[in-house]
Amino acid sequence: MSEALADDMLVCRCEEVTVGDIKKAIRDGARDVVGVKRRTRAGMGLCQGRTCEKLVQQIISKELGVPASETGTSSVRPPVRPVTFGELAKGDVEDD
Amino acid sequence: MTNEKYYDIVVIGAGAIGTSVAYHLAKEGYKTALLERGDIASGSSSHCDAVAVICDKLPGLDTKMGQASIDYFGKLAKEFDYDFEYTPKGCLYVCETEPEFAAASKYCEAQQKDGYKMRMIDSRELSEMEPHISKDLYGALYTPPESSVAVNPYRLCFAFTYEAEKFGLEKYTYCKITKINLNDKTNAVESLETNYGTIHTKRIVNCAGAWAPFVGKLTGLSIPIEPRKGTNLVSEQTPRLCNNKIMEYGYMMSKFDSINFKRKVSKLVEDQNIAFNLEYTNSNNLLVGGNRLFRGYDIRTEIETVKAICERAMRFFPELANIKCIRTYSGVRPFVKDHLPIVSDVDSIPGYYIAAGHEGDGICLSPITGKFMAEIVAGRPTDFDISKLDFKRFA
Repeated sequence: MSEALADDMLVCRCEEVTVGDIKKAIRDGARDVVGVKRRTRAGMGLCQGRTCEKLVQQIISKELGVPASETGTSSVRPPVRPVTFGELAKGDVEDD
Repeated sequence: MTNEKYYDIVVIGAGAIGTSVAYHLAKEGYKTALLERGDIASGSSSHCDAVAVICDKLPGLDTKMGQASIDYFGKLAKEFDYDFEYTPKGCLYVCETEPEFAAASKYCEAQQKDGYKMRMIDSRELSEMEPHISKDLYGALYTPPESSVAVNPYRLCFAFTYEAEKFGLEKYTYCKITKINLNDKTNAVESLETNYGTIHTKRIVNCAGAWAPFVGKLTGLSIPIEPRKGTNLVSEQTPRLCNNKIMEYGYMMSKFDSINFKRKVSKLVEDQNIAFNLEYTNSNNLLVGGNRLFRGYDIRTEIETVKAICERAMRFFPELANIKCIRTYSGVRPFVKDHLPIVSDVDSIPGYYIAAGHEGDGICLSPITGKFMAEIVAGRPTDFDISKLDFKRFA
């Protein structure tokens, strides 16, 4: 797929990371999603990689010639969606 | 072609300490290899916060090393092409109560006597400096930006590696060391067996942080470092909630058991060993922490810890109640009982060096530790006496 992706295409919309940025991170030694994330901030924004992670995996897969399943995922960490510090302190999320 | 490799020195571990040590050795002219079992900055240095201050250190050597390292950060930020987001930023140690303020004042006096610029501020000045902080606090210990800076910790590791490569550093990431060979007669370092083949060297530096004991075991060395877990929360990008790095004076308690001080906090906060701290990052997120717990190498986030951090954080910054948390993370810090790192050679194994055990000071002390290690390896005296950091103290 990434054949069709221009280097200036945005991959991570939250942190504005492009295909070119990700390819450079891979050239600099990133081998997985977390390695790309630390070098580019892809997946560090509000959505925590929900939008871009699959795409990042596919770019790594293409660049390194490994199956996408071997490109890792971002570590699973709570919360699963943004919640306020107030709600977290109570351990309960109120319905809107 | 043979798979065998030859180096003057091999650094094990590519965190804030290992990458700095590798940089300083390569710059010194040694043919240096950097071995890392995962990616650069994949351990503690990407699971921590971003601050380098002297006001969390005990007066004396601890503070002296901290200040030297902070000064050095400024110099490196100018020299390096790779941006590690060096940002001078003041620090406020906030005191909830009069007794905390009194204890902090005593500490402040001791540091002032040694020539460090810190001062106590009252609650009025505190509210002026930090308009969003709770109004009922007693005061704070203020440390100006010359003794308090922020850096991006994992970018610091990338920066040291990048700059070291200019001096010929060769890095081996995802490297597994299966054996370290010592000379039968002299017990000196000879080579390492790895998934990259045999690496010949007469010197190795164990910079594996919380994992240094595992590297130690390969040569029968017992290194008394334990993993101590810390947790941080990341907020959504927000308008600036704080101007300085903020910590509560109670943080000292979680760091140094010797300071016996009782806070008025809930059982949850007490049990989770929470010490509130807050900082604003270059990406406009807030980092909210933190705590210290012994949990082995398990770095999964614990929900009770998260609840307790939020509870404590809102006591100091009530507006956090309506700000969103997007992520939590935990990591281990390399804990040593006497709260001093190990930076020295090892008598029993010629050519074996250790730079590890900085607990929560690894980022702050990274530049100075690398410089010291290069001086030790080169056989030159260090800038000041660091015999207290010698591995011998555990003999």
